[in-house]
Parts: sequence; structure tokens; C-alpha cells
Amino acid sequence: MQDAVLAMLAKEPSHGYDLRARLRRSLGPLGESMNHGQIYVTLARLEKAGLVVCERADGLPERPERKVYALTPAGQQRVAAWLTEVGWPKPDLAEFHLKLVAAAAARLADPVELVAAQRRELMRRLRETQRAALAEPTESAAVVLLEGVALRLQADLRWLAACERAWSTGDDENEGA
Amino acid sequence: MGRAVLVFRLVLADVRRHRAQAAMLLLAVTAATATVALGLSLGGASEALYEQTRAATAGPDIVAYAPELGTPVAPALEELTRAPGVSGHNGPFRIVFATLTSRGLASLVVVHGAPEKPGAVDRPLVTSGHWVRPGGAVLERGFATALGARVGDRVTVSGRTYPVVGIAVTAATSVFPWAPGIGPYGGPSDGGGLVWLTHSDAKALASRDLPLAMGVGLKLSDPATARAFIDAHRDSTVMVNFHPAQFIAQQDSVMLRDSQPILVIGGWLLSFLAVAGVAALAAGRAAEQTRRAGLLKAVGATPGLIAAVLLTEYLGLALLADALGLTVARLAEPAVASPTASRVGSVVGPTVGVVVAATALAVAVAVFSALRPTLLALRTATVDALTVTAHRPRRRPLLTALSALLPTPLLLGLRLTARRPGRAVLHGCSTAATLIAVDALLTFRVQPRWGYAQHRGGWGAGLSGLPNLRDDQSGRLLLSVTVLAIALALVNTVTMTWSTAMETRATMAVARTLGTTPGQITAGLSVAQVLPALPGAAVGVILGIGVYVTVGDARTLPISSMAGAAIATVLATAALTAVPARVAARRPVTQALSAETT
Amino acid sequence: MTSAVAEARGLTKVHGRGESRVPAVDAVDLEVPEGQTLAVMGPSGCGKSTLLHLLGGLERPTKGEVWLAGRRVDTLSERALARLRRRSVGFVFQAFHLVEELSAAENVELPVLLAGHSRREARRRARLLLDRFGLTARARHLPSELSGGQRQRVAVARALANEPRLVLADEPTGNLDSAATLDVLRVFEDLRAAGQTLVIVTHDERVAATADRLISMRDGMFVDDTRLTGAATGWLGGLAGLEG
Repeated sequence: MQDAVLAMLAKEPSHGYDLRARLRRSLGPLGESMNHGQIYVTLARLEKAGLVVCERADGLPERPERKVYALTPAGQQRVAAWLTEVGWPKPDLAEFHLKLVAAAAARLADPVELVAAQRRELMRRLRETQRAALAEPTESAAVVLLEGVALRLQADLRWLAACERAWSTGDDENEGA
Repeated sequence: MGRAVLVFRLVLADVRRHRAQAAMLLLAVTAATATVALGLSLGGASEALYEQTRAATAGPDIVAYAPELGTPVAPALEELTRAPGVSGHNGPFRIVFATLTSRGLASLVVVHGAPEKPGAVDRPLVTSGHWVRPGGAVLERGFATALGARVGDRVTVSGRTYPVVGIAVTAATSVFPWAPGIGPYGGPSDGGGLVWLTHSDAKALASRDLPLAMGVGLKLSDPATARAFIDAHRDSTVMVNFHPAQFIAQQDSVMLRDSQPILVIGGWLLSFLAVAGVAALAAGRAAEQTRRAGLLKAVGATPGLIAAVLLTEYLGLALLADALGLTVARLAEPAVASPTASRVGSVVGPTVGVVVAATALAVAVAVFSALRPTLLALRTATVDALTVTAHRPRRRPLLTALSALLPTPLLLGLRLTARRPGRAVLHGCSTAATLIAVDALLTFRVQPRWGYAQHRGGWGAGLSGLPNLRDDQSGRLLLSVTVLAIALALVNTVTMTWSTAMETRATMAVARTLGTTPGQITAGLSVAQVLPALPGAAVGVILGIGVYVTVGDARTLPISSMAGAAIATVLATAALTAVPARVAARRPVTQALSAETT
Repeated sequence: MTSAVAEARGLTKVHGRGESRVPAVDAVDLEVPEGQTLAVMGPSGCGKSTLLHLLGGLERPTKGEVWLAGRRVDTLSERALARLRRRSVGFVFQAFHLVEELSAAENVELPVLLAGHSRREARRRARLLLDRFGLTARARHLPSELSGGQRQRVAVARALANEPRLVLADEPTGNLDSAATLDVLRVFEDLRAAGQTLVIVTHDERVAATADRLISMRDGMFVDDTRLTGAATGWLGGLAGLEG
């Protein structure tokens, strides 16, 4: 989040209000979950870290907003570094996999049931994502983001289907033994 | 109401999309119905023309001829004119059997002595010039036309030269060349033209030692009693030949004796070719039709409506073709129905019976062609219909196994044929039908022929006889039928090859991915068409001979040219099939493979 | 009698004969209430398409009953089934199955005319539906001149032309790319909002997820039947990486 806010300041110094509006535009329905004060908390942290500077501008009488934020040279370096970074969030599949193994080994729960429950949950999430995507106007940038969310959920669902197959055949073997 | 719109719209859309097929169906059925309708119309045509001529010329009910064999025959004929029931008469008049020459042409003629003012019975209709006058001859129109003579020409009749003063039509004699009615000395007639001279000119000619006869035209108060009248007067001491009007009309129709079977049999051959071609096209589109039927079913069309759509298309086109065919027949009828110019009046056009027969033929072609795809579309379960991609032919394991030993093109060809036995049979029959027509034409061309109105021995140096109008017409009709048959067969062959190529494109594409060359595929598709053409050609030659010997009464058979025609047909099939096969075979493999999955 | 639009009891369909008998649908009970959007998922060959065909009367069950709009249909004649499909069921297929020779508008008019309505009525309905799905400008185009998404939207319009109680869609997005899929899903969302009862068979989770209810099939049987409505909210931002 901090990096994204920094990067948005790279274009030109902005009010916190403008930054927030631009973020919400890019995120579409996902931006709605963003806390109102979150942007100011982030900016305050960045200022403390010496990555942005805050200047008081001559505000208009009807606009209480007076602060304009700008990148420091350190901030600019950080933006450049962030853009070239190739890191990617790691999916945490091992945990669920181990949950199934443990459940099966200790006969605590039916892994197939666990998979089904997980599947139902993911399907509900996918439904919400899809409905959000369908509600967006076609030209909205957020549609691409929502498609990404949907595709990840789809990948997870397909993995769950593979889990289900694996654990239901494992079941048969256990019974046969 | 809405449903009728729907059927109409679907049919129209399909026709618009498959214009070539619609055109082919239209042409094939038009050719077949026109030929059959024309053939059947000829049945009453000569009689109708005779009746009109009779009405226009006050034709007699009976004409009596008596050859002069030494004893005078005039009194006996005079007596007939006074017999009870006779209401009017012409004659007795003198008949002289003579020869006529004009501009290098020679002909047998009968000269009738005619009154300068015709009476109430037998008033020949003068169509150009005027009626007889001393020293001037009038020629019967059919004869004049065959001779190429016009008013003002000079003709020489047994040594005497007369100017032609007029040309006329009569119902008292049959059409050229059967005007003489009886031969010289009461014997058989070789035919001849009819020339009218005044009584005195005819008498002058009669003194020149030519065969003579007397004739009389009788009008009865009740024409229906003609037969009874003849029976009552037969036992006279003099030899008298009676020709009732009915007999004269019948003799007229002999002119069309060969034309009718040529047209009717030709019409059947063309119908068969039409069925074969249209059925092949329909079979080629069966998969598409079945799929369309499936999706119509899915949106709620009843089987009845689907059958209606499929049949309406074929029936609609066939009926349109039927109307066209009848029109063509009507337009061609005057020329075909009256090869001579001896009659006046117009043909009546197809009778109700002819219209019904031609329409039945068109409907039969449509139903035969559409039946199989329609049944297939109706029988296939909706779900299967929607997923159908191509007709899956039956496998013939034995033939398939045998063909494995052969070179690639033969192998492909044999397998294609083996999997489509119905089409092979159709193609074989189509080839046979074409050869029947070709053979008939070839046989006809080598038959011995005599010109009209001449001694079988022919004429002297520098003179030629008149053309044989009947044979000329037969030749023209045979040629037309044969050309039409060949045209339909050509289209059929191309269609069948294309259908097979389209159906098998996926298989052929797979064969090509395995290393078969486009050339081998082309050859294979050609072989698939040539194989059934071979037995078809052989059967065609045999049937052609059969038809011409039984119906055509042939005396000479051109066996070698028939065999040549058969070989040429097979070669032409091979050459023709190469074109569509090559177009199909040269398509990119991937295109053919992906086409099958959509 | 329930208010279910579609209902199946002990529904069984066996394909093949003798040794090769395969139950495509195996003693299934199902009730689809008015206004519900139901997705049926499962691996290929699990019998989901057969189930759809049985519900729409395109195939006849080997055993069991099918009820449509309170009427038993598995015993009807082919003709009566056709009439029923025409009035009560709309089909949408993976391969679109539009009549290639007819324009988009004429395809939509097809079922209306089949039902015996006037040309005028057919034209009116086609205009409304094509307008609703944003296809007014394409009304006179032949299917071959339309994109996949447009073709499928025409097919949906055709399925709706007689205002059927039930719309059955068999892999409606199977031949479509991502953008076109979204187009078609928008149309389905529109139907859902309008209270149209809809059964979608699909192997695409993203399509299934738009439904209110999800049935998973395997080997001709239902293995799961879940309501998808009422999910926890607020996770969206988290999944997109917006936490903190």
C-alpha cells in the first residue's frame, strides 16, 4: 500500500484527498473497503520515513485540505526500486494440504468434506467477485483487477477438485486394505 | 399463419444460400418435365391440327379412290355421290401419278384435276398466290415447303412445265408425303406431293400414258355414319378405296410416330438423371439438414413442420420447374407437332392429363430426392442431430481389407465407393442413362434412310429426292435429348464428386497428415467416381441397344462407336471428377480438420 | 403439486445396451423453484448435459419422471413435447445453433412464429429482445457476420422469445473467450434480476458462480447441492492484496 501511494505521487505532488479519489477509481468496488483515514495514516508514515514531504498550500476557504504531498529524492528511489521489483505474493496451499493430511491420518474429519466446505466458501467468493465484475461498466479499469481475483479463485477451485479426486480415491484404497 | 411465414422464410433462406443447388434442381426437373410433357402432348396434336384444317377447308367426310385399270370408274364414283346420306361432294376428279422436277429436286406427285371454282366440299385454303387456272399449277403447302418452291417458280410435271400460281392446304389428303392415298394401279404408294391442275390440264396430262385414278370427296349429312356408309358400298364391281376423315387424320399422326417415344423415353431418362443428381446433392447436405432439423426441434418445431420445411423446398422448386417445363413444351409444341406445312391451325397446348402427368413426375422427382434426408432428419434424435458433423457411412470390412493391397489412389477410391454404395449405384445408373441416350443417337445415325416421295431406287443423275421430314425431326429430338442427358450427367458427376469430397474432407485431411499427397487424394476421389461408371457404361450400352432394337426397330448397330462412347464416358468422368476433387484436395489440411469440429 | 418450475423424480437415463450400458443420469431428484438460477457442474461425461436434455424434453428418461410447470412431460408425444418446448422452455447451446441462413432478428422471431403468433408480434418481440441485449445494430446480420459473444446473445434472445418459464443453457460460454463470456454472463445476470428461472450446465467455475445455487454432479449423481447466496463480505479487498 505504501509503495502504491508513493508511486501515485511520482506524477505530481497531490492533496491526500486527490490521492484517495485516484486510488478508489483504480480499484473500483475493491476500493470501497478502504478505510477513510487510511490514506492519511499511510502518508504520515511515509513522511516520518523521509520519503515524502508535506507542504502547506494556500487553501481555498471552502476546502479544509491544505496539505500537498511530494516525493523526496529517497522517495523517488524507492518508487523506482518498487517498479522493477519482481516479487509476487505466495499462495499458501501447503497449510490446507497439511490440514487434509492431518485430518485423514488422525481420522478427525473427512478430508473430502473439508474440501467440499472449502469449495463452497470459494464458490461464494467467486460469485461475489463475478457479480462485482458484472456490475462494473465495461470500460472500468477495475474489471481487470476483478478478473485477476476471479482467475485466482478459479485456480484454487480447480486445485480443490484435484484434492477431492485424490482424497476420494485414497479413501477407496483405505477401505479396500 | 405465423408458421406458414416461418416455413416460407426458412425455405427462401435455404434456397438463397444454396443457389447453385436450387438452380440445378430447377434445370433438371424443367428438362425432364418439358420433354415428357412435349412427348405426351404430341398424342392429340396431329388430330387437333387435322380437325382445324378440315374446318378451314370444308374437308370431306370420306374420300373414295378408284384406280383406272381399263374399265371406266367414273360411273361408280358418280353413283356414290347420289347415294342416300350424301349431302355434298367434290368430283369425281381425275388423278394422275406423275413425277415433278424443280431446280434439281425430283419427287413423285399426284396431280388432282380441280374445278376452277371449288364447290361446297373440299375448298383448299390458298395460303399464297391464287387457285388453279388454265396452265397454272397449285402446290400443296407441305410439299411446296419440302421442295422449297414458291409462287412464280416453274415446275416440270412429267415433261410439261407449269408456273406455280398458288400454294394451298387441304384436309382431303394426309400430310406430305402421304397425299396420294393409293398407289399407281391400286398398288402400294411410295408417297408423293400433291399438285392441283385444272380439269382440262389434268386431262391433257392423263393422255401421256401415266397411271391414272379417279377420286371423289363426299360430305355426309351425318358424319358419324361414315363407317356404315363405307360398309354399305364396298361390294361394287369396281375396286374403290375409301378413306374416311378419321383414317386421314391417323395417317397424319404417323409423322410423329418416332418423335413421341423419343420424347417420352428421353423424358424418363432425364427424370432419372434429375433424381440421381438431386438425390446426390441432398445426400451431400443431409448432415447439415439433420442439424438444422435438430435445432428447429429444440426451439419447439414439431416433426410435421420440419418435414414441411424440407419437402416444401424441394416441392416448391419442382413445381416451379414443372411450370417452366410445361411452358417450354407449349412453346416447342407447334414446331414439333407439325414437321410438315400441310396443316393450318394452332396446337391446343398441354391437356389436363398432360399437366397432371408432368406435375406428378416433378413431384415424384422432388419426393424421391427429399425423402431420405427428410426421414433421416426426422428420425435422428434431437440431441444427436445437434452434435452430428457428418454422415457416418457403413463400413464394408471385406472391401476395405481387399483395398489395403492396392496402390494408394485405388485404395482410397475403393474405400470411398465401398462406404457409399447408394451413391455408387446412383452414379452407375446415371452413366447408364446417359449412354442409353448416346447409343440411341449413334444407332439412329447409321440407319438406312430414304428421302420422301421417291422410288426406293432413287433418281437419275443430277437429281435428288426430298428430305425425310420424320427422320430429320427424330434426329433433332434425339440430339436434344442426348445433349440434355449429357449436360445433366456432367452436373451430376461434378456434384457427386464434390459431395464425396466434402463428406470425406476430415478423413482425407488425416490421410494427408499421414503423408498422402494431394495428387493421390485427387486420384482417389476420381477413382471413387470412375469405379461405378464402368459397370454403368456397360449396362448403358446393352440397354441402349435393347431400347433401340425394340422401340426403334433398328437394323444396323454401330457396336464399335457404342464401345467408343462408353470408353469416352468413363474417360470424361475421370477428367471431370479431377476438377472438384483437386479443388477439395488442395485445401489446407488444418482448415479441413478444424472445419469438422465446429 | 409444488410451485417448482422444473422437477425430476428418480430421473434415470441409461445410454447404450447390454454390456456397454452406462447410466448417464442415475436416480436423480431435483426441484428448481421459480426464479432460481441453478448451475450444474461436473467433469465431462458426468451426465450434466443429459440432465439438461431430459429437463427440456430433448431426450426421454429411461426411468423416473420429469415435471415442467406442474405438468408431467416424460410421457408426452414428440409433437406435444415440441409444443411444450416452444412455449415453456428456451434452450441455449454451446455451439449457438442459430439457423445460419436467417438473420439475427429472424432467428429470434423463429420460436414466436412457431408458436403461431403473427409476424408483427414476432417482429415486436425480436426488436425488444435484441435491444435489451445491445444487438439492435446487428439485427439484420447473418450469424456468420457476428462475433461469438454476439451470436450467443442472439441465441439467448431466441431462447427468451416466447417468454418461457425455464431457460436451459448447455455450456453457454464453452466456445467464447473471456470478454465474450463476460458479455453473456451480463445477459444471464439481467435474466436473473428479472426473475427468470435458469439452469446452466457448465464446467467453468466463473460461470457457475453467478448462479444462486450450485449442484455438483459425478457419475450421474448429485454429490453436492449448495446455495451460493449470502457470502461473507469484505474479503474482496483482502484477496486483491489490499489488507493493511
